[in-house]
Amino acid sequence: MNPTSPLQRTARTGKRFGWAGGLFAVLMALIVMASTGQAFAHAALIKTDPADGAVLAQAPARFSLIFSEPVSPLVLTLVTPDGTPIPLTSFRLSDQTVEIDNPQTLKSGTHVLSWRVISADGHPVGGSLLFSIGAPSEPPAVSEAIDWPLRSAIWIGKVVLYAGLFLGIGGAFALAWLAGGGRAGQCFVAGAILCGLLAAPLSLGLQGLDALGAPLSHLAQPVVWRTGVGTSFGWTVLIALIALGLGLLSLAGPRAVARPLALAGLVGVGAALAASGHASAAEPQWLTRPLVFVHGVGIAFWAGALVPLGLALKRQAAGAVEFLRRFSWAIVPVVALLAAAGIVLAVIQVQTPSALVDTAYGRLLLVKLALLVFLFTLAGVNRWKLTASAEAGATEVQRRLTRSVGVEVLIVLAIFGVAAGWRFTPPPRALAIAAAQPVSVHVHALQAMADLSITPGHAGPVAASMIIMSGDFGPLDAKEVTLVLSKPDSGIEPLKRAATRPGDGSWRVDNLIIPVPGRWMVRIDILVSDFDMVKIEAPIDIRP
Amino acid sequence: MIKYLLAAGALLVLGTNAALAHITLETQEAAVGSTYKAVLRVPHGCDGKATTAVRVQIPEGVIAVKPMPKPGWTLQTKKGKYEKSYQLYGQAVADGVKEVDWSGGNLPDEFYDEFVFRATLTADLPAGQKLYFPVVQECGDAAARWIEIPAAGQDKDALETPAPGIKLTPKR
Repeated sequence: MNPTSPLQRTARTGKRFGWAGGLFAVLMALIVMASTGQAFAHAALIKTDPADGAVLAQAPARFSLIFSEPVSPLVLTLVTPDGTPIPLTSFRLSDQTVEIDNPQTLKSGTHVLSWRVISADGHPVGGSLLFSIGAPSEPPAVSEAIDWPLRSAIWIGKVVLYAGLFLGIGGAFALAWLAGGGRAGQCFVAGAILCGLLAAPLSLGLQGLDALGAPLSHLAQPVVWRTGVGTSFGWTVLIALIALGLGLLSLAGPRAVARPLALAGLVGVGAALAASGHASAAEPQWLTRPLVFVHGVGIAFWAGALVPLGLALKRQAAGAVEFLRRFSWAIVPVVALLAAAGIVLAVIQVQTPSALVDTAYGRLLLVKLALLVFLFTLAGVNRWKLTASAEAGATEVQRRLTRSVGVEVLIVLAIFGVAAGWRFTPPPRALAIAAAQPVSVHVHALQAMADLSITPGHAGPVAASMIIMSGDFGPLDAKEVTLVLSKPDSGIEPLKRAATRPGDGSWRVDNLIIPVPGRWMVRIDILVSDFDMVKIEAPIDIRP
Repeated sequence: MIKYLLAAGALLVLGTNAALAHITLETQEAAVGSTYKAVLRVPHGCDGKATTAVRVQIPEGVIAVKPMPKPGWTLQTKKGKYEKSYQLYGQAVADGVKEVDWSGGNLPDEFYDEFVFRATLTADLPAGQKLYFPVVQECGDAAARWIEIPAAGQDKDALETPAPGIKLTPKR
């Protein structure tokens, strides 16, 4: 992106040019800062201590949760057998492990440790594990109900933010660069930007509420806002606010700087979107973030021009025909880029065609695609059927074009609504990453113990890896290790495989096939010496 | 008469079943403080392969072990210290045979054979309990390990490869 040539046309002095260039540099720096984070994905819980379903003789001094990547805890609660929630506030983070102190002695019965953490892509992940002291009891009820008022508010906030970014900043860009001297739609564009300026910070608070699992009524609490700022969505909001401000300045400020300001705002739209969200979190980052940037800029260019153009044509304003000519000249390559970026992102996110139907994310994408087909048909008719005669000055055609542009705007709004729905659906890519995580179990007996992990942790071809230790965590040089998997309730004969030693101190079983998901019994036969074998056993849950 | 026959038949079926499946000891009961002639019955090889070695571990409290040589097999013993010393004919015995190996032989899967040793069950052994002699059966590079000892309260039939054992009876 080379800002020199368009800037030279408007910037009369070197000073102005330097100022706009500086803004541009700040924005680019923000993009770079936002994109230098580590490889983002949804964090998945790999292992817990105590294990889910464990029955302990006495209350543990601490709990630990190990995730597939670093996380930060948001809400940790222990629910006692009588249903009383105890907030757990004392915890330590070390790499992927969250160590939580147990604040009190626990009575016997089944407890629920409910956790909610935020992963690197800025989306909260939650779950709970059950363990019992002494003997299991009826587990206490833990409500994981969806907070619909909050969800609706988040969704509305997102749609309004999109409208501000795309219709507002995009509109400001169209007015500055395409409309010539025409000011049709200026009020609408300014209104959209103001809506965006309101929605952006509000979305941050809503994000904070969602991250904490708190209801809407807690919106005023400072911790909610701190949490929201701490997520990657904080970057999106910051960049969006800057971009919206630039857009507004380009409308209200002197005509001479309108163009660089609007261009910087448009760049900001792309940067804001690339800073957070599912698509920006996908791998490979060097590809997805620029694609999201291009996609966002393209949408803003297209959608933003629609209202000013429609109104200019409706009012038969002086520069309307000129505006239409410039827009239709630029729109074909812009939409081509926009569509190409969108297609690549969709392929990365959805991965397999069946996920289009099987997952909520895929179904939303299908709805969006249907709306897009409609939109493209309309836009195509406008571009290749009506534009030529409208440019020639045919009033009747210009009126038809105005109506058609109005419908386009409505479809665009509907698409914003669908895209905002993705906020609540993990993409198939993230689901696949979660499914590929191993399942682990720690098997402990007096004479020996083992850490077993099965990768991936779902039914099908898997590999098992075991670390064998003596009962007091010392080294155990086993002569032979045999893994026996059985599922007594399914009528499947036990799978028995001798483990091999790859040389890194672990024992492995490759080419193992677990035929069905569910709860399996794992037995590890450890030959300690010629005449001494230790058999340890534990259940393990295999995902479907 | 019919009852008796049925009972005998049931006993026969169950008895042969157990004997077919595992390496067992012929005499299943012995008094503590007596001399015991152990006859290890080897009913088959390891998954169809011919048996090439039989090794038996002598449990603590069993002393003065004398294995019977077997034509075609190399007989070896491994000696070591006992956990404590035992009285044998007025003398203290603190070490002796801890393992007996018959190796270098060839017992095809379709044949049956027995491996014999004699030993003294000391009076220190707990009468009323079971005493196990873990056995490793080698078949070339494969092995079957008859070394499982049931945990307290565990059903011995639940074990896949139980160690042969005898019931200890009170001193006569």
